[in-house]
Amino acid sequence: MALGADRDRYASRGDTVVFVGCVLLSAAAMSLPGRLRDPLARALRQTVLAPFLSLQQQIERLSASLGRYDAVVAQRDSASLVATFLPELRGENSRLRSLLGLGTRLGTGYIPAEVLRDPEPTSPLSFIVSAGKKQGVKPLSTVVSPEGLVGIVSTVDQQTSVVVTWAHPEFRASAMAADGSVYGIVAPHGSEGPRVWLLELEGVAYRQLVANGTPILTSGLGGVVPRGIPVGVVVGVAAEAEGWERTYLLRPAVHPAAVTHVMILGGAPGGRGDLRSVFESGREAP
Amino acid sequence: MRRSDKYRFWVILAVLVVLQFSARRWLGGDRVAPDFLLLALLIYTIQARPGPSAGAGFIVGLVRDALTPASFGAGALAHTLVGYLSSWSKAVFFAENLFVNGCLFFAGTWCRNLAVAVASGKLKGGMLGWELLVWSPIQSLTTAVAGVLVLWLVGRRIAVRMSDA
Repeated sequence: MALGADRDRYASRGDTVVFVGCVLLSAAAMSLPGRLRDPLARALRQTVLAPFLSLQQQIERLSASLGRYDAVVAQRDSASLVATFLPELRGENSRLRSLLGLGTRLGTGYIPAEVLRDPEPTSPLSFIVSAGKKQGVKPLSTVVSPEGLVGIVSTVDQQTSVVVTWAHPEFRASAMAADGSVYGIVAPHGSEGPRVWLLELEGVAYRQLVANGTPILTSGLGGVVPRGIPVGVVVGVAAEAEGWERTYLLRPAVHPAAVTHVMILGGAPGGRGDLRSVFESGREAP
Repeated sequence: MRRSDKYRFWVILAVLVVLQFSARRWLGGDRVAPDFLLLALLIYTIQARPGPSAGAGFIVGLVRDALTPASFGAGALAHTLVGYLSSWSKAVFFAENLFVNGCLFFAGTWCRNLAVAVASGKLKGGMLGWELLVWSPIQSLTTAVAGVLVLWLVGRRIAVRMSDA
């Protein structure tokens, strides 16, 4: 091997000083409060990392374009085939319309974005998306995928934003059963035991039973997350305080690690009304 | 030392950095694909003194922390530790051998993930177990394979003493 490390370079006092200094600086960075940490991280993203994030964004787009190419070719071939039969064409058009996805159902006021991931273990807790202030993203905007709630925007840069997913220990959202009979607070279940990557519906009154399989949606209370976005499905009781309240376990509608593209909802949350029909029609599509 | 060797060394590190943000998508996904940024750091530490290696690790970690704000500072600490220990242990214990360097890349990646997971305090119990026993070894293996390939292809061309670089 030609990589020649000289044998006489054990750590000198200067090396040790540099090492200890770096460790102390790291510890200081870990203990920074959010109001200092976020500007520092934003400055790094907008300077040192900006060209690399731009490159990553272009690669994501290229990859998505290549992926769509086969689908487009297949759709074009199918369209050419069915064009010879008008009734079948009408049926096909109807089916394709229903497949157009969440973007069409939402109408306007959303911002599509790619997820720019980093391979560190905590990446499912928060990640960067390829839309920022320039695209109209605002802090606390709700982030969704066609399946349901992904998280909320915590920090907005010029070209990118940081999304805190529902798996983040500090994430909370007001939620309700699909029929509106039960309300509670949704939070990540935690990282202990075999039920990791599940959600909890906390604060449900003890007298109110929620059956397994009940869909849980956001309630819109609190004015941050719009009403009617799927959060998950009840899979059991996690804990109960005797005579006071129950906590239910939810299977999440979306797993953050599996999300590659998201939509960031714009505008005032109250102005969007109930989004239940948007997501329900998505599930009914063939 | 020839000037062209010095430039070649930095060009290869730059290529690894670019690969981190471009090629990983096609190499098995986020949890499995090689970590080219960490690989660049480890290749740097093979030849650098422990002090500069710790400094480089701190800078790399801090930059990465900007991408994962959930664990801000943990990456800087983890990369500092890995950079320093890699350089120090390479000087003290390890022989110059392709396989040994591969083992260094594997251990460096796994230790980095362990340090990030522990320092961030966000992963516990089952999640920590899965991360350290399943995902991290896979990522460490792919990173080690990528590192061995890089050294095998260009190792002789980047025989630069960092003290001269």
